[in-house]
Amino acid sequence: MTGIGIDIGSIATKGVLIKDQSYYRVILPTGWNPRAAGHEAIAKLLALSGVERHGVESVVVTGYGRVAFDSADRIVTEIKCHARGVSHLYPEVRTIIDIGGQDSKVIQLGSSGQVVDFAMNDKCAAGTGRFLQVMATALGLEVSELGNVEDPNKLLAVSSMCTVFAESEIVGLLARGNPKEGIIAGLHQSVGKRVAAMARRMGVKPQVAFTGGVALNRGVKRALEEELECSVMVVESCQYTGALGAALLACQSGKQ
Amino acid sequence: MSNQYIAPFSNARDINLMQIKAAKASGRKVVGIYCAYCPQELILAAGAIPVSLCGTREEPIPAAEVLLPRNLCPLIKSSFGFAVTDTCPFFHFSDLVIGETTCDGKRKMFELMHELKPVHVMQLPHNNVSPAAFDLWADELRRLRLRLEEELNTRITDESLWQAMELVGQERKFIKAMFDLNQADPPLFTGLELLTVSWSRNFSSDKGGLIGQLQQLLENVREKPTGTPAPRVLLTGCPVGLGSEKVITVTEDLGAHIVAMENCSGYKTVDLQYDNTIDDPIIALAQMYLGIPCSCMSPNPQRLELIERMIADFKVDAVIDLTWQACHTYNIESYHVGKLVKEKGLPYLHLESDYSNSDKENIKVRVQAMLEMIEK
Amino acid sequence: MADYREMWSNLDMDLEKHDVLCQVLPEVFGEVYLSQQKRPRGMDFYDFVVSEIHGVRPAELIEHQKSGGKVFGTFCVYVPDEIVFAAGGIATGLCGGSQFWVAAGEKVLPPNTCPLIKASVGARLDKTCPFFRIADMFVGETTCDGKKKAWEILASEVPMHVIDIPQMKRAQDVNAFEREIHSFIKVVEDFTGSKISADSLGESIKLINNKRKALQRLYEARKAAAVPISGKDALLVTQIAFYDDPSRCAQMANQLSEELEERISRKEGVFPEDTLRIMISGTPMAIPNWKLHHIVETSGAAVVVEESCTGTRYFENLVDETAPTLERQVRALAERYMKTNCACFTPNSARIDDILRLAEEYKVDGIIDTNLQFCNLYSTESHLVKQALAEKNIPVLHLETDYSEQDFEQLRTRVQAFLEMLRE
Repeated sequence: MTGIGIDIGSIATKGVLIKDQSYYRVILPTGWNPRAAGHEAIAKLLALSGVERHGVESVVVTGYGRVAFDSADRIVTEIKCHARGVSHLYPEVRTIIDIGGQDSKVIQLGSSGQVVDFAMNDKCAAGTGRFLQVMATALGLEVSELGNVEDPNKLLAVSSMCTVFAESEIVGLLARGNPKEGIIAGLHQSVGKRVAAMARRMGVKPQVAFTGGVALNRGVKRALEEELECSVMVVESCQYTGALGAALLACQSGKQ
Repeated sequence: MSNQYIAPFSNARDINLMQIKAAKASGRKVVGIYCAYCPQELILAAGAIPVSLCGTREEPIPAAEVLLPRNLCPLIKSSFGFAVTDTCPFFHFSDLVIGETTCDGKRKMFELMHELKPVHVMQLPHNNVSPAAFDLWADELRRLRLRLEEELNTRITDESLWQAMELVGQERKFIKAMFDLNQADPPLFTGLELLTVSWSRNFSSDKGGLIGQLQQLLENVREKPTGTPAPRVLLTGCPVGLGSEKVITVTEDLGAHIVAMENCSGYKTVDLQYDNTIDDPIIALAQMYLGIPCSCMSPNPQRLELIERMIADFKVDAVIDLTWQACHTYNIESYHVGKLVKEKGLPYLHLESDYSNSDKENIKVRVQAMLEMIEK
Repeated sequence: MADYREMWSNLDMDLEKHDVLCQVLPEVFGEVYLSQQKRPRGMDFYDFVVSEIHGVRPAELIEHQKSGGKVFGTFCVYVPDEIVFAAGGIATGLCGGSQFWVAAGEKVLPPNTCPLIKASVGARLDKTCPFFRIADMFVGETTCDGKKKAWEILASEVPMHVIDIPQMKRAQDVNAFEREIHSFIKVVEDFTGSKISADSLGESIKLINNKRKALQRLYEARKAAAVPISGKDALLVTQIAFYDDPSRCAQMANQLSEELEERISRKEGVFPEDTLRIMISGTPMAIPNWKLHHIVETSGAAVVVEESCTGTRYFENLVDETAPTLERQVRALAERYMKTNCACFTPNSARIDDILRLAEEYKVDGIIDTNLQFCNLYSTESHLVKQALAEKNIPVLHLETDYSEQDFEQLRTRVQAFLEMLRE
């Protein structure tokens, strides 16, 4: 049984190939052409695993670029893929918080890992990876550095959730000589508040898993735990859960 | 349009526009309306043509935002935008516009519209159960009758009113019959087709002609080959019209059927029937119209009952509840709707959107994820 | 502060969460209020009330309940408090004015709802406000879409009566409101078990009128060329009036006014000479929402009048005290309340007349017309306000804001630019 899952995100394209009990994964920048990125991911997976293209029973594609991709056997939303991927790794999880580049989602799982309900941010970039990206640039940092640079003990509340306002707010905070570490902690708090509000509307059931690229940022994890008043578990290889879910679905549909 | 029988309805607007123009030239009066609560029977009985005014397209919204707040319902902004730019021919032809106090935004928007046209605003009660609310509404209908008589220089007799009620009742009956055919699995019509036919009512200068067309459709359509089975979705919430049908198209493009709509262009208004044992047509009309389960009524258990009934009758697999941005009544009522649908074990998707296409991808993901929940 | 923890815990409050609020408030109050110069001595009482905001008055209400009295929580200036007091009950304001409660409100209400509504519902749901725990009955009204629909959700939590407010002001609408007051009397009588008579209603009409007169007197003092009290302090008096015992409220406001009148005779103001005089018009500012006043008064201007429900709309117009029968008293109440000009009415041109009149009476240099976010009524009406003020050459700035600190700097920039414009 061999299946491929491709998650074409706005920033990175992730691929997982499952062959019997073996898992292979790749990650590459999506760039301007999501379709090409999808094909490249498949090619890399095949090279990595030594599987021939015709040996793959099914390819499931997800992510924002899913519609642009032309040779998928099935197109599935990131919501279902994350649910599938996370519940495969952690069957006890009931709530998934997924913060990606463009959007943030909260997914509620039933006892067998099925999607029971979900919520998603609206057009606004507040509470997404994009928000942190813009802020990192304003602070002269890489977005991947934010989690390690923050110092929650020096926390400075960044009250704006709106990307545009927050950017000018932190420029102001910096100008007044405030430490970066405190500002960053405040930014994480802001993202945490926004996403937690969305989660609370739906109801938060433990265990809570945190996935998506932003889950690598331990500051956001800390903020989420404070806001939700419960522990939040970061999913291992969190960037890949969508692709993993897609690959699992590919294997499953192959069987049918 | 895939269904050949729907074709006559899809160009109803243009045909009717020419007819209205001609009727207007020959001295007939035109009265513009915005809301399902407006009793068009009174307008017909006054010998005038009731037309629904434009308000379902995005184009004139920037013009409206010069005077209205940006953070307002797109339906209100579009309606006002069409009026202020004089790009809605029906508004242009209207001798009188009828408004009503259904929501905060509309109530205040009509204050600005006064500068453009004679506007008669009807006060709609906040509930449909108290005797005071009923008296108020019946009184508002009497006032409208007087205003129409005055403005159009005519007399509205009880007899002509009963006749108009009979005619509009027929039209509702046939629209409902068409909607009900979609209880079949697979459904006979797409959501867009339902909307197209329902929409054609809004501009018809000739009710009799439309009723004939509807009868024809109902006879013909039985020959229509059956489609493929797919998830059956009920659309509820704010009004949807041609130009603001993006949720319908997104859902149907993803392979599901919008089998029924509970909103104002759907079931909410076709279920209405007047009690013909009542002597006073105004009382009969008031009773019937106050039965519309709009979220502006508080409380509004009738909408929940209607949704529950439609879920059963139309064998619904999932419910999409659409709220236009800044429509507080539907937005807050979604709390109760969501509870009801989820208690039935069905996926429920609440969308808050506007007329722009900027969130189309976002909506697509959500609708698709909702449909995936049906697959199990 | 005295220890009220036992009382709070008896009220089944969430003490831990409530502590967070108790910690923040003194800090904010210190920064916004205690930092002011030349405050009247009469403000000591109000400072004390704020320092014990969830203690002293709630304790009184609980005493009232222990002796068999009922407490009615209200959200709007259209609710006739007179009826409640005539039946031996106490009416107290419930509106939430803090961002602290918003998140809890968003659990059941859409985020795009007015912060006052979200905070009010959130304060109840999160058990972090004693007033929301104490009230035996909640009295809502249909003034706006958001409130009307939010009461449906709150009604599943608490005993609730909703007063139907007309949307127009024609003769028949005043009659309708009169009938609505009669129904409210019935509800209050049934709930309290005491009958309302012409005598008891006559008494309570005087009681509430006296409160109104005292507040009118306070506002009268603000008309002086050298303003004897800051806008922030005056706002606080009105905000507390919603919660306080009406006769004490009148007494304290009168005392304060006396002091202000002395200041006026000495031409002693709290601001430097030529400080710009600003009117704030629009939606209410429930305690502790002092955001806009704070911005204006730390930017070198004075707020001299509020055309809002936490301002003139609360106490302008008295109820006729000469009505001899219950019927006539109710009529007098209906007539008085229907004179209040909220944007929920259509048309509402009388509000614009009010603004123009107040601008002249208080000699304002400019008006900040503001509305809470997502209030379709005031935001749409702002166009008509602007239009009318432009005709009279009165400068106006329209601001939409909420309870969060998010837009604080943004607002400050806009207010300061507006003030610079006025100085030119």
